[in-house]
Amino acid sequence: MASVTGSSASIISSSLKQPNQAFTRMSTVNSVSLSISGNVFPSLRLRSAPSHFRVSCAAKPETVDKVCTIVRKQLALPAESAVTGESKFAALGADSLDTVEIVMGLEEEFGISVEEESAQTIATVQDAADLIEKLIEKK
Amino acid sequence: MFPYMRGASFTMKLHCFDKKFFNSSPLLVPVQPPSRTETHFWYVLPDEVKSEALLRKYRELLPQCEEKKVDSMRGDELRKGALLARALVRTTIARYQINTQVSPRSLEFTTNIHGKPEVRWHHSDDWLPPPLHFNISHTSSLVACGVTMDSPIGIDVEEKQRAIKNNVLSFVRRYFSRHEVEFLSSILDPAVQRQEFLKLWTLKEAYVKALGRGFSASPFNTFAIRFGPAKEGSFHLSGNSNSEACCKESEILVESLDSSTHDTSTWQFALLELAGSHYASICRRKDIAPEGKASVPMKLKVWKTIPLVEDKIVSGTDSAVIIGGLS
Repeated sequence: MASVTGSSASIISSSLKQPNQAFTRMSTVNSVSLSISGNVFPSLRLRSAPSHFRVSCAAKPETVDKVCTIVRKQLALPAESAVTGESKFAALGADSLDTVEIVMGLEEEFGISVEEESAQTIATVQDAADLIEKLIEKK
Repeated sequence: MFPYMRGASFTMKLHCFDKKFFNSSPLLVPVQPPSRTETHFWYVLPDEVKSEALLRKYRELLPQCEEKKVDSMRGDELRKGALLARALVRTTIARYQINTQVSPRSLEFTTNIHGKPEVRWHHSDDWLPPPLHFNISHTSSLVACGVTMDSPIGIDVEEKQRAIKNNVLSFVRRYFSRHEVEFLSSILDPAVQRQEFLKLWTLKEAYVKALGRGFSASPFNTFAIRFGPAKEGSFHLSGNSNSEACCKESEILVESLDSSTHDTSTWQFALLELAGSHYASICRRKDIAPEGKASVPMKLKVWKTIPLVEDKIVSGTDSAVIIGGLS
């Protein structure tokens, strides 16, 4: 009994760690360049599906704030420009080079390594913060 | 139908003969679609578009969902850039008059399975849409659209003076291939190094966008852009690492570093300096002549445009200087 419970727990936790496996890959870098095509990509709808995984492990406000700071600096946003967890990188004017620079800035700030597949899934500041905490936890 | 004057720049302001076009787009000069060996490149400078009335006309070209996306951009400049990108692609494709039904407003767009935008043509029994491909790129100060016939295309533009927030070598060690790291490390002048980095970045972006499979399908460290020897007769700059490292008109090649790809020898690149202020890269497939002979060099035609107002061919002028590829 105990071993059965143990194995089902590990199945659940491993699927929590990789919620994106089942979903079509959608490039964050390309989505920045392509986001103004005006189309709702099917994979964007899919991408919002894993959010129920995130509700239970949403990032701490301090992490979100740090991400906001890095994003502001990279995009040289004016002080009045509001940047919150919901802010989309594309809508803030981040192009593909900005996005990769931001990811690199986050890697250095938090001492983590973000693989391309994970980087693709980042659309908002909150996404970045959540991913960061997940990666920190894994260390 | 409409003769081109290659190499000369001139302004065409013709009233469109078609009544349908007149109602939806008063000044849209028709253009012959590119041949299989041609690449068309259109760009707009947002600073040259000042008229609110014109921006409203551009808005009228968009379906509601595109307008919403434009308005979701934060700030006037970003909204304007997004609007110009949509207006540019719609007016550009409509110019080619693929059939009489097409107008900038009537065009429909969709995406391929990886999210790359493409035109959604309406098929009918007696009409097959032509294989017209396009790709868009923009910075805050320039919006561009490349068009080809029967070849995937990717383009990328960056401001020459763009600041890199991270240390360039740290960045390329993290994301680029070893060969590219070595190439950039050999450049001692930081300003030149930054410019060569940006050129490489645009070339790599253009390649990934041409592949159309998304960033993670082709991580930047799985392929290397190399500059081949300069072609005979082309201007060759000194090999001193302190000067321009990329020879004018030298061949640009891509080499795959992992097993997953793709015949890299079929891709063709061009690197341009636009309006003196931007680097632009274009990547497309070479057109292999039916007889199987060596491929024909890419012919590039560049227009500077203000959609619905004026177009100017700038290929062969100082506004569109070829600094690599096209061999």
